Amino acid sequence: MSSFYTVVQIFLIVSMVNIAAWLYAPRNQALRAKKSITVFRSTFILTTSMMFLMWAITYLSQLHPLVEPRRSDLRVEQKI
Amino acid sequence: MSSSTPLLSGSEYTTVSASNGNNSGSTYINPDNDASIEALLRPEDPDYFEEEGMFRSEVMSLIEICTPQEQVKELCYKLGNFGKLQFIPKKEKISESNPAKTLYNDEIKALGNLLRQYDFFNDLLKEYNVQIISDSNDSYMFDSFYTPKANEIEKLISSANEYESKFNEIQDSLEELNLKYNNLLEEKLAIENLSVLFKPDLTEHDSNEVTGMTITDRANTSQSKNFITGTIPRSKMAVMEKLCWRMTRGNLYLTNLPIENEKLPAGTNNELVDKNCFVLFVYGEVTLNKCMKVIESLDGNIINLPVSYVEQQSLHHKLVENLKEISQLIKTSTVMIQQDLDLISMELPSWKKTVNKEYKVYKSLQGWTINQTTATTQAWIPSSSLPDFSKDQHTVITVLDFDKKSPPTYHKTNKFTQAFQDICDCYGIAKYREINAGLPTIVTFPFMFAIMFGDLGHGILLSLVAFMLVYNEKKLGRMERDEIFDMAYSGRYILLLMGLFSCFTGFVYNDIFSKTLTLFKSGWTWENGKALSTGTTYAIGLDFNWHGTENGLLFSNSLKMKLSILMGFIHMTYSYMFSLVNYINEKSMIDILGNFIPGLVFMQSIFGYLSLCIVYKWSVDWIKDGKPAPGLLNMLINMFLSPGNIEAELYPHQAKVQIVLLILALICVPCLLLIKPIHFKLTHKEVEHSLEDAHGDENQEEEDDDDEGHGESFGDVFIHQVIHTIEFCLNCVSHTASYLRLWALSLAHAQLSDVLWTMTLNIGLQAGKDGVSALSVFMLVLLFGMWFVLTVLVLVVMEGTSAMLHSLRLHWVESMSKFFVGEGIPYEPFKFD
Repeated sequence: MSSFYTVVQIFLIVSMVNIAAWLYAPRNQALRAKKSITVFRSTFILTTSMMFLMWAITYLSQLHPLVEPRRSDLRVEQKI
Repeated sequence: MSSSTPLLSGSEYTTVSASNGNNSGSTYINPDNDASIEALLRPEDPDYFEEEGMFRSEVMSLIEICTPQEQVKELCYKLGNFGKLQFIPKKEKISESNPAKTLYNDEIKALGNLLRQYDFFNDLLKEYNVQIISDSNDSYMFDSFYTPKANEIEKLISSANEYESKFNEIQDSLEELNLKYNNLLEEKLAIENLSVLFKPDLTEHDSNEVTGMTITDRANTSQSKNFITGTIPRSKMAVMEKLCWRMTRGNLYLTNLPIENEKLPAGTNNELVDKNCFVLFVYGEVTLNKCMKVIESLDGNIINLPVSYVEQQSLHHKLVENLKEISQLIKTSTVMIQQDLDLISMELPSWKKTVNKEYKVYKSLQGWTINQTTATTQAWIPSSSLPDFSKDQHTVITVLDFDKKSPPTYHKTNKFTQAFQDICDCYGIAKYREINAGLPTIVTFPFMFAIMFGDLGHGILLSLVAFMLVYNEKKLGRMERDEIFDMAYSGRYILLLMGLFSCFTGFVYNDIFSKTLTLFKSGWTWENGKALSTGTTYAIGLDFNWHGTENGLLFSNSLKMKLSILMGFIHMTYSYMFSLVNYINEKSMIDILGNFIPGLVFMQSIFGYLSLCIVYKWSVDWIKDGKPAPGLLNMLINMFLSPGNIEAELYPHQAKVQIVLLILALICVPCLLLIKPIHFKLTHKEVEHSLEDAHGDENQEEEDDDDEGHGESFGDVFIHQVIHTIEFCLNCVSHTASYLRLWALSLAHAQLSDVLWTMTLNIGLQAGKDGVSALSVFMLVLLFGMWFVLTVLVLVVMEGTSAMLHSLRLHWVESMSKFFVGEGIPYEPFKFD
C-alpha cells in the first residue's frame, strides 16, 4: 500500500497545485496588488515545495524500516 | 543626445530626448530608435513594470532636469513631494568651482540652527509637561504643495531667536533661584533640628552620661567657638564620624539628627539626597579647622549657628521670610515660561515641518549646477514612474544613457516583504538588476528556522504572539516602542511565518511540547514487548510509536541528519540556479561555461550523488530483498579513497558510476580554474592585435597602461578565478556540513523540551498518581507555572533566537554566497517625510 510511488503521486499533485497557483495567482486590480504577483507565486510555490520535501523525507525514511523500535518498560501480557 | 522628441504637447517646456548611444547597463533604457522612447514612457504592456521591483530591482532611468534658475526652489519642493528621485551627488572637483555649494551654506547653517532651537523648545515642553498640540488639519502649513516664502522663514528665525534668548534668561534665573532656595531651606532645616539640642529647658535631660556635660554647657565652656554645626549627606555620616574620631583621637562629641521629609542638593552636580545635620564639639582651634576641612571634603555644609537659643530663633524667622520671597519669585518665573510654552506648543509641529522641508530643499539644492539663467541636475528615477513624472513637472527632462554609472538598487517592498528584504540588505545591497535574494528568503528563512524549531506547541505559541502583533499592527504602529519591542514589531511577519512553519515541522516531527500526537495508523504494533511492522507507513510525520523507545533517539537522529543534508543540498542547488539566471540576464556566456556548469557538475557529482543515494536507499526494501543495507558514509569515503572498490553494493554497476562521477568532478576543477582566464586571454589578445594594427608596435607600452587603467588585467582575472575555484570547491564540502546545524539544533530543541517536561510538569502529574491531595494539587499548579514560564523563556525565546541566528547565517553564507554579487547602491530618494 505504501510505496515509493505514494511520494511520486503526492509530488505530481503538489506540482499541479503549484502550476495552478502560478497561472491563477490573484490579480486584484482594485488592491493594486499586481506588483506582488511575483511575491505570491514565489512564496506559494516555495512553501508547498518545502513542505512536500519535509514530508517526503520523513515518509521515505520510514518506508522500509531497517530497525524496529525497542522498549523495555513494557509488561508482557499473560494469556490464560 | 542626438535626438529630441517632443512627447507631451500639453506642456510647452516638456521635451524628452534620449541618446542613441550604446547602452550596456540596461536593455530597456537603451532605445535603438526613436520609437522605443515612446515605448519607454508608455509601455505597451502595463504588466511589465508592475510585476518588477521584487524579483529584480526596478529599472532605473538617468534623467537630467533643467529649469530656469528662479524656479529651482519651487521645483525642489515639487520633487520632494513626488519623492521618487535620487539626485546624483556631484563630484568634488565640480563642487569646488560650483557657487551653489557656497551659495546655500548660510541658509543651511541658519536652518540647522533653527532646527536645533526647535529641539530645545521641544525638550522644554516636555520638562514643563506642556501638551504638544499636533496636526491641525486645516492648517495651510500641512498642505504638501505649499512652498514657504522667504520672509516667512525669516520671521520664524527671528521669533525662534527671541524665544530662545527669553527661555535661556528665565531658565538661568530659575536655576539660580532654586539653588538659593535650597541653600536657605537647608539652613532653615538645620536650625530647626539643631535648636532642639540648644533649648535651655532641655539641658538637664539631654545630658551626656559619659562626660556629664550638657550641650549648652559645652558651648559655653570656652570663650572661643569650639563647635561646628552643619549638614552632610546621610550616606557620608558614618565616614565623617570615623574620620573626625581618628583626627581628634576620640576627643570629640558628635550628635546628629536626620532631616526628615526633605531631600537636599549635595555635591557639585546638586543631586537631591537625604541629609543629616550635626553638632561636633572638639577642643582647640587647629583640630576644629581640620575637622572643617574633612567635612567640606565630604560634601558637608557648615552652617554657622549662634550659641544662644534666642538668636537662633530670630535667625530662623529671617530665613523663613527669605524663603517665602524666593518661592514667590520662582512661581512667577515659572508662570512666565509656561505662558510662552503654551503659545509655542500650538505652532511648533507646523514650524518644524516647514523648516525641515526647507532644510532638505536647500541641502538638495547644493547638488544642482546653477548658473546665471538655468539650474540643472542629474537624478535617478524608476522608469515606471517616468511617465507620471514627466506629466507633472513642467520642466525640461532629458533621458540620458548610463554607461559607467551604476544605478541604485530599488526593490519595491510592502509591509509584508519589507522585513525579509531588510534581512538581505543587512548583508549587502544587491547589484542593480541582479536577482533579489529577499524574494526566496520570505519562505526559506522561516522554514529553515522551523526545521530547527520543530515543535507544534512552541510553534503555536510563537504564531499567537506574531498574530497578535499583526492583528494590532495599526494600533501598535502608532505606539511608542522601545528597541527590543520595535524589533519584534518590524519583524512581525517573519515571526508569523516562523511560527506557522514551526507548527508544520513540529507536526512532521510529531512533537507537541515533547509529547506526540496519534493521528494516523502506526507502522508498528507491540506484541510480547516487541515491535512488529504492520506494513503501513505513518502517513504524515514521524511514527508516534518511536516516542519514548530506547532507540527512538537513534532513529530520529538518523532521520534529522539526512533531512538536513537533503534540505541543505536542495537549498544550495536552488540558490546556485539563481547565478545561472543572473548570468543569462547579463548575457555573459563565458560565466555560464566557465563558472556555472563546472561548478554545478562538481557539486552534483559529489553531493547530488550522495543525496540521490540517500533517497534510493530509503526506497529499497533491504530486508525483503535479503541484502545488507550499505552504509552511505563509508560509501562516500571509499568513493574518494579507493575508487572502484565497493564493500556493499547499493545498486548494480555502482563501481563504474562512481568512477565516472569522480572523474567528472576532478575534471571540473581545472575547467573552473582555467576556462575563464583563457577566454579572457584570447579576447584580450584580439583587442591587442587590433590596436597593434592600428597604432604600430611603438605604442605597445601605452596600450598596456591603458588596459590597466580600464581595470582588469589577465593577472587580476586569473587570481580572482583561482580564489573562486578554491573557495567554491571547499565551500561545497563545508557548506554541506554547515547545514548539519539543522540537525543539531532540532535535536537540542527536542531534547531540551523533553528534559523540561520530565523535570517540571511530569513531577506534578506523578504526584497525583496515588490519589489527589491538597499538596499534589498545589504542586501541579506550581509546577505547571514553572513549566510554562520556562517553556516560553528558554524554549521559545532563547532557543528561538538562536535558531533564528543560525537560519540567518545559512542564508547569508551558505545560500547567498552561491549567487549574490552585491555592491549595489541603495535607493534613497529625495522626499519629505
